[in-house]
Amino acid sequence: MNNSESVIAPTPGCAPSEKAARTAANQSAPAVVSKARGSVSLSKQISAIALKEFNDRFRSGWVIACALVWLGAIALTSLFGLVQIGRIGVQGYERTVASLLNLVQYLVPLLALLLGHDLIVSEREERTLSLLLAGGVSRARLLFGKFLGGCLALAFPLTLGFVIAGTVIGLSAKDKAVVPFVVLALSGLMLGIVFLALGLLISALCRTRVQALVCALLTWCVAVFAFDLIAMGVVVAANSTQAAREIEMATDATHVTSIADVHKAFEGADDTATRIVAERSRNVAAWLAVNPVDLFRAVNLPGSANVAVPAWLVALSVSSWLIGTLGLAAWKLRRTDL
Amino acid sequence: MNAYLQFKSVSKHFGRVMALREVDLSVEPGQIIALLGPNGAGKSTLFGCLLGLLRPSQGEILLNGAQIVDADRLCVGYLPERIALYPQRSAWDNGLFFTGLRGGSADELKRQLKRVGLGAVADRPVRHLSKGMLQRLGLAIALCGEPDLLVLDEPFNGLDPALLDGLQAILREENERGATLLISTHTISAITPLATHAAILLRGRLAAFGALEELSARHGGVPLETIYHQTARQAHQIEPEEICA
Repeated sequence: MNNSESVIAPTPGCAPSEKAARTAANQSAPAVVSKARGSVSLSKQISAIALKEFNDRFRSGWVIACALVWLGAIALTSLFGLVQIGRIGVQGYERTVASLLNLVQYLVPLLALLLGHDLIVSEREERTLSLLLAGGVSRARLLFGKFLGGCLALAFPLTLGFVIAGTVIGLSAKDKAVVPFVVLALSGLMLGIVFLALGLLISALCRTRVQALVCALLTWCVAVFAFDLIAMGVVVAANSTQAAREIEMATDATHVTSIADVHKAFEGADDTATRIVAERSRNVAAWLAVNPVDLFRAVNLPGSANVAVPAWLVALSVSSWLIGTLGLAAWKLRRTDL
Repeated sequence: MNAYLQFKSVSKHFGRVMALREVDLSVEPGQIIALLGPNGAGKSTLFGCLLGLLRPSQGEILLNGAQIVDADRLCVGYLPERIALYPQRSAWDNGLFFTGLRGGSADELKRQLKRVGLGAVADRPVRHLSKGMLQRLGLAIALCGEPDLLVLDEPFNGLDPALLDGLQAILREENERGATLLISTHTISAITPLATHAAILLRGRLAAFGALEELSARHGGVPLETIYHQTARQAHQIEPEEICA
């Protein structure tokens, strides 16, 4: 047995007293010991939870693995993005953006959902949530701290990947037109944060990690693959020919299914995107705003595609998603018995 | 005058099962309350409601006359029956995180770890600690920040006699400092030398409550263990197993 196993040391000089004497002493104790003697600041509790979350992900290797995967994906895309037309080598920013668009829209939501889906439910399964909440941490603070920690754990590898890749591309391709790449990086981060909030909501709603993982993967499939099909199906079923045509235009214009086509668009050739965009209406933007993945595609399409989404609509869509998912998660967590 | 801590008609049901039924309990500062009852009597549920882990289905819990809120729980130290910490982190890291959330300092944690005899193993990952050590780590975390109210769920489980003596001494010191203690236990022999009051919960209902001397006098001068058994027998005869309608 370890030495420390047998030593619980009462404070020296504190002799045990008779129970009757103690009771009598307690009768004369101040009637009210205290009411919430002090309070721990909101930021202190939230930052402690966020930093712990980030540290845990860092120690587990998640952050490093994510950074390596991300960096590798950007490097490969930049090097081999034009292999279909027989070119190999580092491309400039604009071409890299076009090649990266598919990768970001698939990979970033997946990473964010995988990160977010167990933020709450794992603490619940391992029973550490009880000790956290019993210590005076409100559920809203816990949720916000977890969200911030998740944002850090997601933003760190993504930013690292974008910065390193952006620097290498700029130096190798001697390209100074960095704006499309910065827009891609920022909108990619925002896309990740929105899906992290969705993951957190799933984590608050589910009872087990397995349940949460299944829900997270389903959410990813719906957002990335199924949404456009479902939306078109709904409109066509409702016999709205004009609306159906608009959705078709939107999805055609925003789905980058052929890298070669997109590159043709950059080179000013007569392509599908340019033709479709000429016919677009304002309704297209409204449809795009419903799904963050579609919005991300629209924001990053080359200028020649002209699928312009107003900045206010982007801000409205992102803030609605964030407020909606986090609000719902807070509501659910407040009603959850542990 | 308002009591320090007051449970007013607190009920809690899980689906059709009534875990607590209109529990009324008033705790004055400096009391040591032994919360007794068989498994499933509602002791942990009562603690859950007090600590904000469960929402009472009915009734309210008041601290100093006002409904208890999260900020009040910064002054509550809690030791759960089965403490769950982050296994990959060290005892020190775990302690620092949980006490930090309540505004505790590293010096205070160091003092409490030494007090419970874990000073030498503070840097050891929690997954390598024995059950007894985990229990003491939980106690050290609960004691940090000199809480006004200590809520201990089955703290005497699995302790050898030496550890039991040490724990009793620490709890006595905390009480002498002015802390109010709410201790649920099945080990009546361990709580008897400490408790000033006893509350007996049976099937979610408060079957008996009072100062030990008062309860003993009411039952003809018998010890707490006998009082508990007598009360449990009477309650069983009066009220067979019930399910909420």
